[in-house]
Amino acid sequence: MDRTRAILRKAAWSVFTIFFVIILNFFLFRVLPGDPARAGIRDPRLNKDAIEALRVRFGLDKPVINCFETLNPVEFGSCTVNPMETQFFIYVRNLLQGEMGYSYHTNRPVVDILGERLWNTVLLIGAGQILSIIFGVTLGIFAAWRARTKVDYTAVGASLVAWSLPTFWLAILLLFWGSTIGLPVAGKATPGMSSYPLLQQWGDIARHMLLPTLTYTIVYMGEYTLIMRSSLLDVLSEDYILTAKAKGLNTVQILRDHALKNAMLPLVTVIAINLGFTVAGVIQIESVFSWPGLGSAIYEAVVRRDFPMLQGAFLLIAVTVILANLLADLTYNYLDPRVRVE
Amino acid sequence: MMKQKALYLFVLIALLASACSGGGAGEPAIVRVGWAGSPDTLNPGMAILTEAYTVFELVYDSMYDLNLDGSFTLSLAESANVSEDGTVWTFKIRDGLKWHDGQPLTAEDIAWTYNLYKDTPEYPYLNGYYTTYFDTIEATENNEVILTLTEAIPNIESQLVFLYVLPKHVWEGVNKLEYENTEMIGSGPFKMAEYVQNEFVRLTANKEHFSTPPKVDEVIFQTFENQDALVQAIKTGQVDMVTEMPNTAAESLKAEENIDLVVGAPLSPGVTDIIFNQVDPENCPAEGGLCTGHPALRDRNVRLAMAHATDKQKLIDVILLGLGNPGLTLIPDGLGVWYNDSLADYEFDTAKANQILDDAGYVDADGDGIRDMPDGSRPLTFRLNWPSDSLTAPRMSELLAEMWGAIGISLEPQAVDPDALTAQCCPAFDFDIMIWGWASDPDPSALLYVYTSEAVPTGSSETGYSNPKYDELYSQQQVELNFEARKEIVWEMQKIVHDDVVYIIPFYDANVQAFRTDRFTGWITDQAKVELSDVTSLVVIEPVK
Repeated sequence: MDRTRAILRKAAWSVFTIFFVIILNFFLFRVLPGDPARAGIRDPRLNKDAIEALRVRFGLDKPVINCFETLNPVEFGSCTVNPMETQFFIYVRNLLQGEMGYSYHTNRPVVDILGERLWNTVLLIGAGQILSIIFGVTLGIFAAWRARTKVDYTAVGASLVAWSLPTFWLAILLLFWGSTIGLPVAGKATPGMSSYPLLQQWGDIARHMLLPTLTYTIVYMGEYTLIMRSSLLDVLSEDYILTAKAKGLNTVQILRDHALKNAMLPLVTVIAINLGFTVAGVIQIESVFSWPGLGSAIYEAVVRRDFPMLQGAFLLIAVTVILANLLADLTYNYLDPRVRVE
Repeated sequence: MMKQKALYLFVLIALLASACSGGGAGEPAIVRVGWAGSPDTLNPGMAILTEAYTVFELVYDSMYDLNLDGSFTLSLAESANVSEDGTVWTFKIRDGLKWHDGQPLTAEDIAWTYNLYKDTPEYPYLNGYYTTYFDTIEATENNEVILTLTEAIPNIESQLVFLYVLPKHVWEGVNKLEYENTEMIGSGPFKMAEYVQNEFVRLTANKEHFSTPPKVDEVIFQTFENQDALVQAIKTGQVDMVTEMPNTAAESLKAEENIDLVVGAPLSPGVTDIIFNQVDPENCPAEGGLCTGHPALRDRNVRLAMAHATDKQKLIDVILLGLGNPGLTLIPDGLGVWYNDSLADYEFDTAKANQILDDAGYVDADGDGIRDMPDGSRPLTFRLNWPSDSLTAPRMSELLAEMWGAIGISLEPQAVDPDALTAQCCPAFDFDIMIWGWASDPDPSALLYVYTSEAVPTGSSETGYSNPKYDELYSQQQVELNFEARKEIVWEMQKIVHDDVVYIIPFYDANVQAFRTDRFTGWITDQAKVELSDVTSLVVIEPVK
């Protein structure tokens, strides 16, 4: 009963946070200096009427919110305008209807762009996470079991190096190496593959994913190895492990039945949180390998002052991070009775 | 049961075999181009980025083609006649033209397209600039387009060259602002086959094109967000040509056996400019003008001294690794006949620069190594800003600080977000010196406008320069129908602004491109302008046998 209430309370907080993000998102980008109708266009061929027409099209001619014409520079405006005619309420109303508007820069619905890009990013992160978890956890277990041996020192050393490598630098190294053995260095698929059978298309995408996924795996594997190792070492020093050894259980049995379940706890949290952040955080890998993911879309949107795109992307990231946290909370709750909230 | 399995196996083998057989006889000639961008949109009215225009040039036709030497030739029309007073143009459209979907292309489509551009204020360029002088456009039954202008203008070709002709039967029923146009039915030498934004554009040849049917079968433009990857891709043969690359890669590509490097002015020639805020407080724009510029920059002597103290060749050698030409005014050498090549630049001479400042009374009154205003009110310390996305400006600011430091001028360098810089620039005039740049229209009028007094309040003028003589010449060249006479005026205007040292133009930007010699031959590389991704090259290249 208490547990259900605790979960409900957490979920309610998440909803509240998302709502707060929606409001913050709107004002955050409008405080930036510059005019989206002119961003990226500095041209004597662009006359005042054209800029004005663009502002009307984007709805930027309307007051930001009651009493404020714009947020930068802060100018006071009329407070008696119909709130439904202000940029803020139009934004909120559209969002409630699932409308994120049109990207100023690409002239396409933001929902469409985010959908395409999110799928690409999830593909890359998904593969990278799975591989780094598998390899990281295995290596971590191995290092912990053989603690303070050469194997352990090598594993820890390599993990520390991998984890602290600048991602873009590693990515560029792998790019140069990969190109010499004939691996594609840019994009998600070979142009023109869409007329080929599905199986070949997937094979082509897999080939394109190889280098970026490898980069991702190396970087995150280091992190997981270190966490797994230290957490397992902690557990292995517990009395009940000694008991298990005394009972004459073999290594596999001790690890599988007694140690790993407890040692996995910190890792679960880190993985869940990583999942949330990496949606936006693989921008370095994406830009080195021209992977058409969310990260590069966000970067471009910032440069172009593409408000609808930024609002949509940030909302998406916020929701992912919040959900990932909620998920971590709930999993933890389930896995570890000690932290169950009263 | 067994039979069924065997059948599946058979189908699978057949599928694999059919998939692999693509590489057999008569392999299609596919040109793979690597570029650093991607079109922003394929809707010609809404597009801004160069990459979009590259695609339009290949897929659409317009009334005129722009040649690499800056001249124009008729394209969709077989003849053009103008009325006595120069305001009514009659274009006789070729017969038998076809859209990519097989429908006939007639004068009706062209007139409809021009009216679309004229009546859609949200189209920033096509409406805002290129249809400014359009009055009425009509199609006749004789397959003619009659274009009536509000006044006679000398540069009708450059006005029409970017007005891509759209199929009325497709565009009539769509929302002209939101239409993404990914199918892109055109009439040009290439057809749109597949488009994935930020990934690639795949075009197939229109072998039935009336004037320039391509010899290759396909052209693919692939986006590389990372320039190192782009260079690596041409080295390893993943692409056949790259449209841009860092100058640092030029040397290593030159050394490659199967790669040729070409350097020239871009299709849209660009300039890098050093901007002096010289707006007269009396001309400070009423709307949004702050005009906080250093008063010394309003004195031609100071600007002249700085011009003499600027070693342009060193800037080119260090920043562009030698791949560029020193500049004179905003009209770049890539504009061909419009570029006044008779002007002599201010020679690099630090002693002379110091002399000019001494004579004008700018001496170091307080002995801190920096010259002061003649009345001693403030030192010659200037703010120097540039857009933070510029790769070359930080290095240039260091070099300028050194060069101008030698004549007792100090700088406060600061990179600024491009949008914030626009807000600081114009028409606010809230700066002293900026490093920025322009890309040019084929006609010089657009960049000549930047120097006019009229442009000061509109935000197009970056310097606040105002000269009635120049303004008058500007108006004259806009309506001078005689080519030679107009050229004289345009040259005279360049002389005026060069004499007044309105800007220092360190260099004109060069296009550095490379192609693989073992894949296709026939690339056009011997013109003033170099653009291998332009239609001029892509319709003539052939696979290497």
